[in-house]
Amino acid sequence: MSEIKKKSHEEEHRGHNPFVHKLDRSAILVIIGIIFLFSFSVIVVLIAPRFVDDTWTSPSSPFQVQMYEVADPNYYMSSASSGGKELQYVNHIRQGNTLLAFKETGNLRIITTPDLEQYVSRYNENGLKLTSRLLMIRDPEGEMVDKAVHLQKKMQEDWIAYHATATKEEVAKIKYQFVELYDPKVEEAFAIDPSGGIIQDWIDENFIILDSEPKQKFHKDYGVIYVQNPREFRIIPVHYGEGMRWRYDSKGRPVKDLQELTSPMMGFYSRKQLIELGEQIYAIEGCWYCHTDQTRTLIEDVVVNGSDSFPAPPSSANEFIYQKITFPGTRRIGPDISRVGVKRPSRDWHKAHFWAPKTASAGSIMPAFQHFFDNDPRGTGSSAIGIPNYQFEAIYQYMMTKGTRITPPTQAWWQGKDPIKTKEIIEGLRKLP
Amino acid sequence: MTTYDDRAVKLFIYPAILFMVIGMTVGVFMAFNTFVFPDYFSGEYIHFGRVRPVHVSTVTLLWLLSVNIGLMLYFIPRLCGISLWSPRLALWAGAIWWFSLIIGSNSFPWGTNWGWEYAELPMWISWIPIKFLFAVSWIMLVVNFFMTIFNRRFEKLYVSLWYSMGTLIWTTFTVLVGNFMIVWLPEGMSRVNASWFYVHNLVGLIYTPMGLATAYYFLPKLANTPIYSHRLSMIGFWSIAFIYAWIGTHHQIHGPMSQWLQTTSIVFSLWLFIPVWTVVYNLFATLQKDWSKYLQSAPIRFLMMGNIFYLITCIQGPLMALRNVNEITSKTDWVIGHAHISLYGTFTFFAIAGIYQAIPAMTNKPLWSSKLADWHFALNLWGSVLFLFSLWVGGFLQGLMWANWANGSSYAEFHSNLTHMPFVQTVAETRIWWILRAIGGVIILLGNILFVINMYNTIVLKQPATQETPQKAGAYL
Repeated sequence: MSEIKKKSHEEEHRGHNPFVHKLDRSAILVIIGIIFLFSFSVIVVLIAPRFVDDTWTSPSSPFQVQMYEVADPNYYMSSASSGGKELQYVNHIRQGNTLLAFKETGNLRIITTPDLEQYVSRYNENGLKLTSRLLMIRDPEGEMVDKAVHLQKKMQEDWIAYHATATKEEVAKIKYQFVELYDPKVEEAFAIDPSGGIIQDWIDENFIILDSEPKQKFHKDYGVIYVQNPREFRIIPVHYGEGMRWRYDSKGRPVKDLQELTSPMMGFYSRKQLIELGEQIYAIEGCWYCHTDQTRTLIEDVVVNGSDSFPAPPSSANEFIYQKITFPGTRRIGPDISRVGVKRPSRDWHKAHFWAPKTASAGSIMPAFQHFFDNDPRGTGSSAIGIPNYQFEAIYQYMMTKGTRITPPTQAWWQGKDPIKTKEIIEGLRKLP
Repeated sequence: MTTYDDRAVKLFIYPAILFMVIGMTVGVFMAFNTFVFPDYFSGEYIHFGRVRPVHVSTVTLLWLLSVNIGLMLYFIPRLCGISLWSPRLALWAGAIWWFSLIIGSNSFPWGTNWGWEYAELPMWISWIPIKFLFAVSWIMLVVNFFMTIFNRRFEKLYVSLWYSMGTLIWTTFTVLVGNFMIVWLPEGMSRVNASWFYVHNLVGLIYTPMGLATAYYFLPKLANTPIYSHRLSMIGFWSIAFIYAWIGTHHQIHGPMSQWLQTTSIVFSLWLFIPVWTVVYNLFATLQKDWSKYLQSAPIRFLMMGNIFYLITCIQGPLMALRNVNEITSKTDWVIGHAHISLYGTFTFFAIAGIYQAIPAMTNKPLWSSKLADWHFALNLWGSVLFLFSLWVGGFLQGLMWANWANGSSYAEFHSNLTHMPFVQTVAETRIWWILRAIGGVIILLGNILFVINMYNTIVLKQPATQETPQKAGAYL
């Protein structure tokens, strides 16, 4: 690259003026070559894969679809401080949309009018009856009270007849709970969920849907999510200083509509909103710099994420199709979170851990996330004076989706029902095809 | 005769030098506050998860990308023999560049992380469309560079111009994919795949060609000798163009990615040996005629040491992509070491060498102190060796500890091993390496503070060497 040479080129090219003319061959070749090679690889590695591998877009099971599209948007929760001792969980039930089951258990009996009799799954009956007609249960009212008293007496007598040697004290203990199935004649209602579960009620065999035709596309799947024995969520609004608050009371008035439920006074958020918020929090807090979200196809990963008896199946592409951001991660200086919903389901543990990770798990280098609780230790307790800050609940709900939604719980890997047979593979009994 | 308008170069390089030291200070803070004394300074705005992106964004965007743009603004006109097509456009681009990136990079403690690796910059901060402004500024630069190249007076395209043209095209597309188009893809693995495509191309098709263009321009300048082989440099260029875009998925080996895609990325990763070795040999062979220059000049030492680090990076990279090596190294601190040797050990060293040449040439003043430059190099070298080796060794041991969980022949045995070795213990055992890493980081930081002093004094204190301004075209080629 001598100076003289350059200068001679310079002289030669003085005459070039029009723009295209100046784009000489070498420059054109460089540009075309770069674009050709680059677009070729883009087509193969960036565009093609999702059309070649359908697990990139198809769900892992109908259960996964229903959890995200049916259960989450209709499941509401609030930690508003006046809501009572614990979090409040409410199912949003809609006529012709939500599947309901009215099932008796060992000490719960359902009484109802003859026209609703067909919807009750009796205690000794096999199979579960489901309907999308909006019915609810309540404590017996009106003539149903007499019916309940009568039935209680009869059942105790039956019990005594069956257990001939029973003492008086034992008989007194034989209490049955009676509830009434009734038709509230509304289009939508809110039902309290006492279990507050992470995993929805789900049935995949031995059930019938009593509707004449499926009202919703998911009702045609082999397994369905349903709500069992819905009991109306009733509140009493109370004056509190200048403003209004509310508390749960079975003798109160029903919540008017979704707008009231999600109003700032009541402070309910759907689980869908919370999970999305949790994903955002996971992003902005940078959790993903230290925690991976993938069980790799390595023995160390399936074992470390497994339960006591069964290894976790490796993460598959379709587990992530409902996430706007996916955080597979590059570094693991905190445990992997892809199966945390199964490994650590306890809300209390997570509360304690986010408040003070170094106390909850000795030797941890995780920062404390006390701002999830407004830096107020009362937020970590389950007392009535909770901190109405949804950051903890959001990140918790987000984490609880991890590993719990691949298959319905009836076919779950933690029960050993693992279609990939991870255990046999890691023990060397079976090889992948 | 052409006069070069270097205002834009200064606008990019001067602040970038400052941001290098700021970014590294944040890094040193984290090395202590997260790993040596975990969460000592605690709280919402200062914990590791929110500070880490500040470090990464400051050193990658505010320092390395900015300084590389600055050096391109310096050598592209000089290789074309004409002044920049529009200095005014470049100044506007610089203004938008610093405005959006400084605000964006420092916003993360307030919760603006976008959630995708290396694309953390938020779309919006209040009314400011950060990413959009960044993209606009970039496109202004691309137009300016291409118009300069199209209007050039020297017919022959020197290899640095090839690399520059490549990076201008690649970066435009890569940044658009990683920062904007990713949200148009279906949720789940399609986005993850696009994200890794972006992450790897950021290093492979942005920093690598920019860094190599810098090295190919400044080594002949500093050593005052022509490049060893143009043919070799072209083989290197075209093999980079062919290979890099294919290998993003090697970040997801053993993960929930399609196996064929993983295998494809592994094969292409191995081919990376070709471009790397051509570059490394070419740079070494250039200096081979007179190795004494290595002893005489700190910038040449930076270039050559960067070249050695480049060789190490690119031996590591393809090997880490192999499934069995990946099983140990992946997700450990080894990866952090690898990221630092490429962006710090290699491309930052190249950029520093470029600055040592460019600033005295632009200001027409001699370097304030070559003694200080020697110290700068020595501290950088020993600091980074300590820094990198502690991450590699610590990471490798971490990987072995995890793999040892998998001892046994039955699930029960595996699981009992696991209960004997809880996860936090593997973290505890890595602490000693984290301490060494932090010490290495402090040494590097000290070295670069000397660099800032040296550059400041050169620019501000020294008198111009001669009155021979403006510079003449071709005088430096």
